Amino acid sequence: MELLAYAVIGGILYGIFFTLVGLGLNLLFGVMRIINLAHGQFIVLGGYLAWTISDRLGLNPLWSIPLSILCAIVIGWPLYRAVVPRLQRSDDPEMLSFILFFGIGQMLTAVTMLLFGADQRSLPEDALGSGSLGLFGQEFPDSWWWAAGVSLTALALLWLYFSRTRLGYATRAVMSERDEAIATGIDVRRVSTIAFVAGLALAGIAGAFVPYLLGSVSPDLGDGLTTTAFAIVIIGSLGNPLGTIVGGLVFGLGTMLMQTYYSSWSNVVPYALLLIIVLIRPSGLLGKAVRLA
Amino acid sequence: MQAKRTRKTLKTTLKTVAAALACATASFAAHAAAAPGEIKIGTLYASSGPFAVASLGQFEGLKFWANNVNKNGGIFVKAYNKKIPVKIVAYDDQSSTATATTLYNQLITQDKVDVLMADFGSVLTSVAVPLAAEHKMLLIDPTGSGANFFTQKTNYLADVSIPASTVWPVPLAQFLLKQGIKRVAIIYDANDFDASQAETMKTELTKGGAAPVFYKSVPTTESNYNVLLHTAKAANPQALLEFGYPPNDIAFLRSLSQSNLHFDMTFTIFPGQLLTLLKKNVGVKSLAYTYTYPTPPLVKYDKVTYGMNTADFVSAFNAAEKKDPNFLDASGYNAGIVVQKMIEDAPKFTQEDFHQALMDMSDKTTTLLGLFKINENGAQLGQSLPVAQLVPNAKGDDLNISVVYPDDHATGKPVFPAPKQ
Amino acid sequence: MPNSTSTQNVSAKPNRLRTSIILLVVLTAVFLVAPHLYANQSLVFTIMTFIVLAQGLNLLYGFTGYLPFGYVGFFGSGAYATSLLVLHTHLPVLACVAGGGLAAALIGVILGPLLRLSGAYFSIANLAASQILFFVVSNPDLADITGGPYGLKIEQVYDPTASYYCMLVVLLIACGLAAYFRSSGFGMALRAIKQDPVSAAMAGLNVVRHRLIAWLVSALIAGLAGGVYAWGISVFYPDAVFTLDFSVFAIVFALFGGVGTVIGPIVGASLLYILYSAIGISTPQYFQLIYGGLIVLLVLFLPGGLLSLLQRRGINVF
Repeated sequence: MELLAYAVIGGILYGIFFTLVGLGLNLLFGVMRIINLAHGQFIVLGGYLAWTISDRLGLNPLWSIPLSILCAIVIGWPLYRAVVPRLQRSDDPEMLSFILFFGIGQMLTAVTMLLFGADQRSLPEDALGSGSLGLFGQEFPDSWWWAAGVSLTALALLWLYFSRTRLGYATRAVMSERDEAIATGIDVRRVSTIAFVAGLALAGIAGAFVPYLLGSVSPDLGDGLTTTAFAIVIIGSLGNPLGTIVGGLVFGLGTMLMQTYYSSWSNVVPYALLLIIVLIRPSGLLGKAVRLA
Repeated sequence: MQAKRTRKTLKTTLKTVAAALACATASFAAHAAAAPGEIKIGTLYASSGPFAVASLGQFEGLKFWANNVNKNGGIFVKAYNKKIPVKIVAYDDQSSTATATTLYNQLITQDKVDVLMADFGSVLTSVAVPLAAEHKMLLIDPTGSGANFFTQKTNYLADVSIPASTVWPVPLAQFLLKQGIKRVAIIYDANDFDASQAETMKTELTKGGAAPVFYKSVPTTESNYNVLLHTAKAANPQALLEFGYPPNDIAFLRSLSQSNLHFDMTFTIFPGQLLTLLKKNVGVKSLAYTYTYPTPPLVKYDKVTYGMNTADFVSAFNAAEKKDPNFLDASGYNAGIVVQKMIEDAPKFTQEDFHQALMDMSDKTTTLLGLFKINENGAQLGQSLPVAQLVPNAKGDDLNISVVYPDDHATGKPVFPAPKQ
Repeated sequence: MPNSTSTQNVSAKPNRLRTSIILLVVLTAVFLVAPHLYANQSLVFTIMTFIVLAQGLNLLYGFTGYLPFGYVGFFGSGAYATSLLVLHTHLPVLACVAGGGLAAALIGVILGPLLRLSGAYFSIANLAASQILFFVVSNPDLADITGGPYGLKIEQVYDPTASYYCMLVVLLIACGLAAYFRSSGFGMALRAIKQDPVSAAMAGLNVVRHRLIAWLVSALIAGLAGGVYAWGISVFYPDAVFTLDFSVFAIVFALFGGVGTVIGPIVGASLLYILYSAIGISTPQYFQLIYGGLIVLLVLFLPGGLLSLLQRRGINVF
């Protein structure tokens, strides 16, 4: 019983963090129909940013959060202008974005390797509190609580953006019906650029917690994070960023429970769930109508 | 008249020149068939991907050996009775087996290397095994320990720098049984390297009457051990063994120190091989009192029959590379000196004679990695790694390696059960 | 007007047939001669493997618009099925390879429902299916059946020359099928369905059946390639035949050449893989950077693939 309780609470915490991992991906797809295969690599970069701040500058890694946002603007804005308009004009932007961002991901992995080398980097435990916090008697490391907290904050801010700001309304319009949004005069380019930068920033912020929740960060983690993020996003709802929380929770709970009882199968969980959901309810658990072929 | 004489002169000149050329070619050919200008050693390394850290270390050790041997004029080749310098021909396989396959073939068929050496680890060595046998070349396998490789007699495979997976864990099992530990938990990665060690442990422990109370495998990409630690604790083990790769060890040890769980003994593999990396990422406090397989140069061999002993190697490597060598550097260097002795001993410069030379030196040669002993299947039965505990020093800011088993190598007594932190 | 179209049709068909035959003959000649010119047979074998994968993917993506991110799942299934048949039955190797292809097609039948999805959903679900196959096959619990993490060894049938020729045969089959898709009524139907499935259905085409056939043929090709590849290397771990790299390469190579054509994937795979090997041998540390950059430039400036350069000039590329 104890074990079950531990797995459930751990699953929820872990799942909330992974929501943050998937959030950026979902935002990019929802607004621009872009499949960002380099998403995991941006997360890894965020992790290295946190490490550089912590190891080289001696600051608390949480400072990488505002720094990530800054970097996302500096890198994301020109990247968007250079790449996305061309994509949107082509015949098959979804599929071409797959290839394009794969290429970008490869370049990012190479740059990361050249800058930092291949070995693992971790962050000091003390920075986020080296003890553990408990809920219903189950103890989890402080860093998990921080990660979950930041993730929920990001979700809340995103919700506020969507529901309370004009740009957010416009973004929702673009997400649901792109052509009509253009027709009504919404500055789609502005909306998209902001969403793109926000997506990268979210990836960078998630990256700061990767060394804590996954033990260490290394250049080759990118691909695994991208495929997991995809699974989470589709389970929740592709194109509905707020729905990512559902995907994250399902992923977290499923993985932890499987680890408790059949540990060698825990990596099958996200994909099996994805297949089941996609075949039974293709729009994801929270759903947005998807045109069936 | 003039024309005839000119023609004759021309003909003679041509004949002379032709004869001279023929002689020169013949002697050149004979000379070329006799001795190559350099000994080409072909190998692969991975500059990126999951095997990069280890592979680059092994390659570094090999290059160190090559530089050293060339400083002395090269290897003394018995078949040609002279010293010939070595040249390393190496390509980057980026940790991909598909790329590795074509590159090994490149080394064999295009570069026509004299000695073929595998990349790091079982995965990148596996694809070379059938290729080497097909082309009748001896494959020098520095660190591929997978049990699969050594299932039949072969002249074309030799594991030179790491014990085979079926013998590697035996000292650990014997230590556990000697300590009277009855309840052992094992968490292992689902790959050849870790799974075969776990299987061997389970067999040995069961033979000794201490079958594992918890025996679970996790995916190689596992990064989250919080829940697993709790499930393992529920089986109430005395010793918890974790068999994985460096990222797994790092994640495991960090999770362990952050939970408030305590085990009398914990064991992981890589602190003994990459101590600096683990100390940086996990911290001295979290490694304290854990057990590991210490590897050379953390395990010292003073009396060696060939090559540098541990102390000399460490100082020479430090002088050349400006940093301390780790196990991978030592294994690359060891592969180099084994090849050197092999060529020094082989009566003819052929792959079969090379293999025979290795078999002849087996069980008689001690290097900085220990006793070199291979069987007819190519498995390394020597170079066994002892068990050590990482004990904090007096100030508590660094760790000392206290070898606890076997007794003839022991430098200290185990602190068992480990004190609660 | 009707007259000209009918004469056009009549003269186009034998023309296409002739082009196909010329293509197959050229391919055969090139790959028969290649090992004599360049001794690294593994490299040529691997080039052929990637051409087959690119072509097989083209059969699906180029003609139906479904992009299978998890294409390597079929490749791996074929590899495993072939190896298990070799290990557990006494069938000759060629029969085992054929068995590998059939096994992949069977997996295709099981995964058939995925075709109900569209676009990104299909792609990612396909990826998920491929990963599940990988994890199931490499799980230690199933080690007794599939070899689990220890992989499989079929060294007893190792034969680099025979497997080389077998891969050539698979290559010819794949290109032949692509030529068929390109020039037959079936292929035209597929293209109609890709453009506008609703109208195609109203015109009487059985949309589901056409797609399913393309899907199964594509799976079969990948399975055959996997089986021959397994035979060719004889010793492999699960991630050697289920690696996502293969899916990505197949997609990038096919797109680089130009999907929907027959020679596109051939040109794309050959050029890019040779480039990949050349860079890998000469400047490996910048390899990933150069390759990634190349792909980015390709998508930005030449999204239709290399052959689109010719198509823009009005040349009807086969």
